[in-house]
Amino acid sequence: MSGPGVGWYLILSAVVFGTGALGVMLRRSPLIVLLSLELMLNAANLALIAFARQQGDLDGQVFALAVMAVAAAEVAIGLGLIVALARRDLPLDVDQASALKG
Amino acid sequence: MNAAVTGAWVCLLAPLAGALAITLAGERISRRTAGWISTLTTFVAFAGALDAFIRLWARNHGDREVLSTAYTWLAAGDFEVGFQILVDPLSTVMMLVVSGVGGLIVWYSMGYMAGDDEERRYFAYMSLFVFSMLLLVEAGNFLLLLVGWGLVGLASYLLIGFWHERAEAVAAAKKAFVVNAFGDATFALALVLLVWETGTLEYPSVFERVDGLSSTIVTLVALGLLGGAVAKSAQIPLHTWLPDAMEGPTPVSALIHAATMVTAGVYLLVRTSPVFEAAVEIQHLAAILGAVTLVAAGLIALVQWDIKRVIAYSTMSQIGYMFLAAGIGAYGYAIFHLMTHAFFKALLFMSAGVVIHHLHGEQDIRRMGGLRAVLPRTHVAFGVGTLALVGIPPLAGFWSKDGIIASALATGGVLGWSLYLAALVGALLTGMYALRLYFAVWQGPPRETEDEAHTHASGQSEGPLSMLVPVGVLTCLSTIGGLLVVPGLWKPFEHWVEESAEALVHPTVAQDYATSVVAVALGLVGVWLARRAFEHGRQLVTDPTAWRILERKLYVDELYDAVFYRPAAALAVTLRQDVEGPVVERSLDEIGAGTLHAGGELSRAQSGLLRTYAITVAFAVSVLVVVFVAVR
Amino acid sequence: MGDVLVWLIWFLAAGGLLASGAAVVSVSNPFYSALALIANLASLAVLYLLLSAEFLAAAQVLVYAGSVMVMFLFVVAYLGGRADAPWAGGPPLLRTAALVAAIALLVEVVVVLGLAWGDNLSDPAEISAAFGSPGAIGELFLTDHLLAFEITSIVLLVAAVGGVILGTTPRRRGENEHRREA
Repeated sequence: MSGPGVGWYLILSAVVFGTGALGVMLRRSPLIVLLSLELMLNAANLALIAFARQQGDLDGQVFALAVMAVAAAEVAIGLGLIVALARRDLPLDVDQASALKG
Repeated sequence: MNAAVTGAWVCLLAPLAGALAITLAGERISRRTAGWISTLTTFVAFAGALDAFIRLWARNHGDREVLSTAYTWLAAGDFEVGFQILVDPLSTVMMLVVSGVGGLIVWYSMGYMAGDDEERRYFAYMSLFVFSMLLLVEAGNFLLLLVGWGLVGLASYLLIGFWHERAEAVAAAKKAFVVNAFGDATFALALVLLVWETGTLEYPSVFERVDGLSSTIVTLVALGLLGGAVAKSAQIPLHTWLPDAMEGPTPVSALIHAATMVTAGVYLLVRTSPVFEAAVEIQHLAAILGAVTLVAAGLIALVQWDIKRVIAYSTMSQIGYMFLAAGIGAYGYAIFHLMTHAFFKALLFMSAGVVIHHLHGEQDIRRMGGLRAVLPRTHVAFGVGTLALVGIPPLAGFWSKDGIIASALATGGVLGWSLYLAALVGALLTGMYALRLYFAVWQGPPRETEDEAHTHASGQSEGPLSMLVPVGVLTCLSTIGGLLVVPGLWKPFEHWVEESAEALVHPTVAQDYATSVVAVALGLVGVWLARRAFEHGRQLVTDPTAWRILERKLYVDELYDAVFYRPAAALAVTLRQDVEGPVVERSLDEIGAGTLHAGGELSRAQSGLLRTYAITVAFAVSVLVVVFVAVR
Repeated sequence: MGDVLVWLIWFLAAGGLLASGAAVVSVSNPFYSALALIANLASLAVLYLLLSAEFLAAAQVLVYAGSVMVMFLFVVAYLGGRADAPWAGGPPLLRTAALVAAIALLVEVVVVLGLAWGDNLSDPAEISAAFGSPGAIGELFLTDHLLAFEITSIVLLVAAVGGVILGTTPRRRGENEHRREA
């Protein structure tokens, strides 16, 4: 394998994952929270593919494909929720959507 | 399949089919049809029993034991129990008695119960009972015997409490069930012990291995079996339920509490005689209990006013004779007396049923009298039954009872002589209470109330044909049924039964006839005493103290109340107040309140802020990573 | 020489990945945020190619960057100005905790990688030319992972139905004004 070793990809994946996690934890706009989630999922995908390369086993790639499908589903639901919030004239702020408070 | 066995299976299953048919048909069939289904299936059972009997008769001596297994319904390791029946001389006799007398009594019920609200239920129960009883006597192993044993208890419970609107009937049913459950429990414990020690519940293997067991084990097993027998057969000290059981319909008293179920204890003693012979003290205990019961019940019968209760105590007394016989090893006579007793006691109950029916439910003999003129045919039947009970030759009771007393004499020793004396006292008492009842009901001036006189005037006869024919048949059987055993001449019945259980005593012909003379003389003395008392208008027991003691049935009910019921009730109240309340309920309250409180505290963590949740998850994951790395 | 070229491409892709990732979480306008994510996905596709995942790289660009992100952009356009999300912090404790958690995760991953670097990650497996090709992955999907494949399709179907239901205005009493607005 030419170029950088699998470890470098994994470090990259960890950094992107951390960035995404920060976005989820810090931002209040549901849209950006959703985008940050995508970032985290993609970081995980990168790690999966890197491990697949390391092991020479395609199962990791298959799993990454499944993650993509789940991510698509998640986007569909998430965007649906955001549209529903907007249609009901509710504020687009995750901190204010706290009706399920105990 | 073996031909003798086919009849036995038909005999067993026909009543079950009848019970199921009546239950499933429900209100789609008329009450009369239900009655006919029940009667005819029971007679089909009788035909099956007769077939089995004849085919068994045709076989060679010594080859008259057939075991038939339908299927193995319980297998655990080496331990197997099959749904199997045993057809041998003893069980065929019992099958004939149960299905024959049972068929007559069910037929009789069609007249007796006519017009009752729930006739179909009654006939379904009756068929269930006949099936259970046949299962009991045909069972091919101990477990199936226990199944039948429990089922007859259930049927008895259901039928005693048949008139469930009456509080006394329900209480009596409960009492019968509880007392019988005690016997069932000791019986079941005996079986557990048998499985534990011998690993089998089949009759032959158990009887084979019983000699190899330690005497303690055998004694315990025999004691457990005896407990079951004593409870089922209403012997002292578990007798208290039988008089109360008279709350049930009279045909039920005739079938279950006179002719068949209560004699199951005797059957058990004979069927499992090898076990008892291995534990001789317990066998003698059975004889002693029988002797005590026959005297005590005879005494109590002297002072009872209820016509059915007098007959019930007489039943206890007669079963006492059977226990005595089984206890000294006179198995043939025990079963013989069981059969003749089934004839004449069912006859007595059914005649009493005609009287009660005629008087619209009146059972108090103080309000009867002079019925001879009104019910002449029933009078003859009752008279035959009474004389058979007292043991006047050549009626049925004479041959069987005197055989038992002679066997006691033949046993000899202190035990034999004591039993002999008790049995003779019993013969005297039998004459007294039986004739007291007879005179009070049939002789003397009529004591009918206006209402009854009115009925009489309307021309009501002695009941429908369905009641008269069974009474007639039983009258004939009570007259000639005893001729199967005539000492010195022939004893086919005794020999037949002894193929299943070899008797331990054989009275000589001289002993037989000597005993007969004494017993009949004593019976006649009893008759004479009863007649004199009746003519002078006084009671047989004149001492007021003795009267009171006997009327309270020797205070056994009160004793049980004080010894068992009151402490148990007090304990229950104490537990309710001091344990249930403060410990159980309080702890439940505490658990509930604690959970509620913890939930309230925890719900604060549910901030509803998405981002806090995310941060929590992130921290949790970082902690988990550390854990995983550390564990690796 | 080829090795240097690969390193160069890797550095470019990694730089794009990190920069666009930072942009996704930091810009205040979701429209730019979404555009940054598209760039992020493109850089990832390059990295996938370097890891011999040709099919996945193509799927990433076509499905993800192509259609999912277009949906995103449509929603952002629909929301218009309401979608703007300027940085409005919340309690400072929360921000600190978030930072600490993210850094803790990162450090842990690096430490774990460091522990494994020497022995496990040094020499990747030898692979054939077909590794990561559509044929190879398709065969796996229809043999070893058939059940997972079918379940994934059901998940997508459920999500599609859910999206439709969420997007439909409920027709109940008292909500007629919403209808008129729409």
